[in-house]
Amino acid sequence: MQTGIAAFLHDAAVLYTLADFIEKYCKEQARSQRYTDASGDFFRYSQSVAHEVKERLGHDVDRAGNLPSSRVDTLRRNALTFKNYLRVLHTFIKPVADAHTLSIPAPLVELACEHLRQIQGMSGSRVAVLLTPLLMYFQRPHTHVKQQAETVGRLIPEAEEFPPRLGFIELPYSQGPGFFTNLAIYHEMGHFVYEELSTSTSPIAQFVSLAQATDRSLRRFTKLQKDAQLQRLAEKIIESWTQEVFCDLLALYLVGPAFSFALVEIFALLGSLSREKRVTFSQEHPAPAFRFAEHVEFLRNGCKWWSAIADVKPDQKKLLLEFSEISRRQYTVYEDDVPKALIAPFLDTIVPRIRELVRGIAPDATPAAERFSNERETIEDCLKVGVVPHSRVGGPPDPVSIINTAFCFYLTSLPDIVERFEGTKAAASAEKRSEWTRKLEDWTMKAIEDSQIQSQFERMQRDGPQQERNSRTHT
Amino acid sequence: MTPIDLQDRAQYLSLALFAQEVVSVLIEYVDEEKSDNLDAALNKALSSLKGAESSSVSSPPRAAAFTSYEQLRTLEEVWKRRDRDKAKRMILEVLRQPRSSKAKPAANSLIDLFSKLQDQALWNFEQPRPVSPGVMQRLCKLA
Repeated sequence: MQTGIAAFLHDAAVLYTLADFIEKYCKEQARSQRYTDASGDFFRYSQSVAHEVKERLGHDVDRAGNLPSSRVDTLRRNALTFKNYLRVLHTFIKPVADAHTLSIPAPLVELACEHLRQIQGMSGSRVAVLLTPLLMYFQRPHTHVKQQAETVGRLIPEAEEFPPRLGFIELPYSQGPGFFTNLAIYHEMGHFVYEELSTSTSPIAQFVSLAQATDRSLRRFTKLQKDAQLQRLAEKIIESWTQEVFCDLLALYLVGPAFSFALVEIFALLGSLSREKRVTFSQEHPAPAFRFAEHVEFLRNGCKWWSAIADVKPDQKKLLLEFSEISRRQYTVYEDDVPKALIAPFLDTIVPRIRELVRGIAPDATPAAERFSNERETIEDCLKVGVVPHSRVGGPPDPVSIINTAFCFYLTSLPDIVERFEGTKAAASAEKRSEWTRKLEDWTMKAIEDSQIQSQFERMQRDGPQQERNSRTHT
Repeated sequence: MTPIDLQDRAQYLSLALFAQEVVSVLIEYVDEEKSDNLDAALNKALSSLKGAESSSVSSPPRAAAFTSYEQLRTLEEVWKRRDRDKAKRMILEVLRQPRSSKAKPAANSLIDLFSKLQDQALWNFEQPRPVSPGVMQRLCKLA
């Protein structure tokens, strides 16, 4: 094994090769495909860091010959650390490059970003989309990347700053162009909001209350006080549960019951609805039964959505109700996976603070439910005859009304529309149902796009072009 | 849903970068007599080390390092109790009297300690170990 300068030069060459590839790759992607603005900013940042790492390496190699061996070891260690930072960026770059605007549900992503910017404290936020090979939705935690970027920025001040208020959401590549299950991005966006709130230098009052409630809950376990590692581990579990409930509630505030239906579909896809799993808290997630109980509680008592969907009766809604009626005494954990004792303080002390926090930062959900009640019939009439939903008079329907009507229609009336257009036999064909689901998703997406274009046009008429551009990035 | 593996590995890299920053300002101080960023970096290190001993887990503001299970485990793997005490003592020595004759030897010792921490964080980033069943059993028993 090489040592001293020879080893440093070897490592420097490896790092140079990686940095050079990243610099060129990011430059090429931004030129060859169309991306959301957020992805473009991320490519520019990565390109700049890779370039400056190369510059720094050249400088370090030049002076290494005049340094004592201990300092050469430090340069080598630093090169390895920078290489690992580029490796982290590397894991983002390819999935971002794959998510050009033709491979993602761009209107839904744009709508979700608009909703995101309406949340208190999230003005000016953007989301870069990534496509993952896993059949799972993720929010790539960005807090650490941002913290790392800040430190890298101090170590290499010539590099561009990490784009402010940038989040990352991953979609399974197979679901990229779809619509209904992609409503899960609202939950994933919640993780981004939570991370931003938790790293704010002046946290809002409800977030401070939540942090204090967590602290109080963990202090009950006096034996843990003596072991800092175990204490951090317990905190990590509670933090994961907290974020999941926070993200679910925020998604419900923004997009209504369609999110609950989408989550049921995803859980079914992942096999999380079995008798055992539905009541089991894991290290990362609260039990599905508890999560759906929270959904029903919000839809019933936190807004007017439950009455707005009173006459819609898909199996998904029945399942929500069935899960919400499961007694909390049945909630459990896998043996030696999670301390069961954490569940009670989480439910009693922390969850009420999560509800308060979401209520404090999210827009009121009741007007969206009322618009849905008024616009649903018009939207359904369009879907029944196979056309993109639009209003016969006035502007296009509200996007949240479109999403919820289309989802309810998909869950309750898909066989009818297949039968109407393709005959009775086709209604029993999986292939035909899949084909018509895709059509329904396309019409829904187009209706949302129309609604956004119309809103953009109205803002332009009212405020002029500059104000309109600002409102899209700084709502 | 979050990809836990990346999140946990990121904790180690954040710690490696934190240690690198401390080592960099100490080397500038020892080799080039520069102390522009010395106070800020050492104060962050000191408050992080103190925070690692605190029983409060959730109240902001958060320290720059050792706030997570992974980072705390790395610290405990590489520094013994006496190393932590020594590091805190030497940080104070450099902060209080950067021009005294004892300050530079103290800074050199700190460079060694934080370099070891950086090495361990890089190793754990490369070879992350999940929480062992034994640790989780202990948590389940104590909670």
